[in-house]
Amino acid sequence: MEQLREEQAAEEAADPGGERSGDRSEDRICLLLRLRAQTKQQLLEYKSMIDANEERTPEQIMQENQIEAKIEDLENEIEDVKSTFEMRNLALNRPFLKIKIKDKGIGDLENMNIKKRLQLKQASGSKLSQLQMEKNKQKEDLESMKDSDMIKTMQKNLQKEIEIATVVQHVFQALILGSKTNWAEDSAFKEIVLQLEKNLTTI
Amino acid sequence: MSVLRPMDKLPDLNRATVLLVSTEDALLQQLADAMLREDCASELRVHLAKSLPLPSNVNRPRVDLIVFVINLHSKYSLQNVEESLQHVDSSFFLGKVCFLVTGAGRESHCSIHRNTVVKLAHTYRCSLLFCDLEVEGFRATMAQRLVRMLQICAGHVPGVSALNLPSLLRSSEGTLLEEL
Repeated sequence: MEQLREEQAAEEAADPGGERSGDRSEDRICLLLRLRAQTKQQLLEYKSMIDANEERTPEQIMQENQIEAKIEDLENEIEDVKSTFEMRNLALNRPFLKIKIKDKGIGDLENMNIKKRLQLKQASGSKLSQLQMEKNKQKEDLESMKDSDMIKTMQKNLQKEIEIATVVQHVFQALILGSKTNWAEDSAFKEIVLQLEKNLTTI
Repeated sequence: MSVLRPMDKLPDLNRATVLLVSTEDALLQQLADAMLREDCASELRVHLAKSLPLPSNVNRPRVDLIVFVINLHSKYSLQNVEESLQHVDSSFFLGKVCFLVTGAGRESHCSIHRNTVVKLAHTYRCSLLFCDLEVEGFRATMAQRLVRMLQICAGHVPGVSALNLPSLLRSSEGTLLEEL
């Protein structure tokens, strides 16, 4: 069973005063503007329904894995949207919380201590990070030093000099032994011979 | 027409139609009167029905909002509403359906538990309103709320769409996080 009831709550009220035409045209303009806004909103709703209906659900049978993957994707999307919504809620509520805290007098002191502690923490953290950076820089410098060409040429030269000196040592040793002199008697001579024995690579 | 669809007809200019479905005739009449007494810039039309499906022989304007009134004192009203829900198109449930529960004040007469209705509204993702329709003052306030909702659902309020309504009318009992 269905009943129908109607009532008109129209806006165009009849003005009993003298300025009828002016007020009526204003009323009409207001009505037109309102109708325009309504029609826009309704058009927007219909458009969104059309867009929503254009998305077709796949009619062929999808494999279970694909369906499960799709379900997971949709669930993740829902999670993301929910978390952003909660974050935004919290962000919106933050000014109200700040105002509440400001109103309390004792709360101010607590805030000061908390702020100082936070500042100290931040300062120490930054200092530590600076130290680490310095250390890393030094390490890098050392390693780069090893690779430089200058050091390689210097090492080569050193090696050559050591070899030359070793050869000279051997030559002198041969000379002294070949001359069959008694080098142990003279202390200065002894020192020279012992020096010739030194292995130059280990110095 | 066996299924009510929200967008199968074009809207009439400046008109908003609400469909009140319930087995409680007297309460519906009083609520309809209260709604029509409300000050509203758009033209209001109130249709009353005991149950869906509606007879298809009548030429009827596009329904903007459906309000299912459930009386907690009678199980029959809940059953009737559940059966009528099958004749509503699914796109209606995007904010254009509302459940109105009456009779929650007198606990001793309640034969349906409040949670049943809460679950029903949760399943269909619709807004749920509680009101004691027998008290004049509450009825007038509820009528005002319904008129505002109807205006939004009919598209007469720029910037607010019916889709916003379920999340805006969500009570503190069922928050987003608890849904999972």
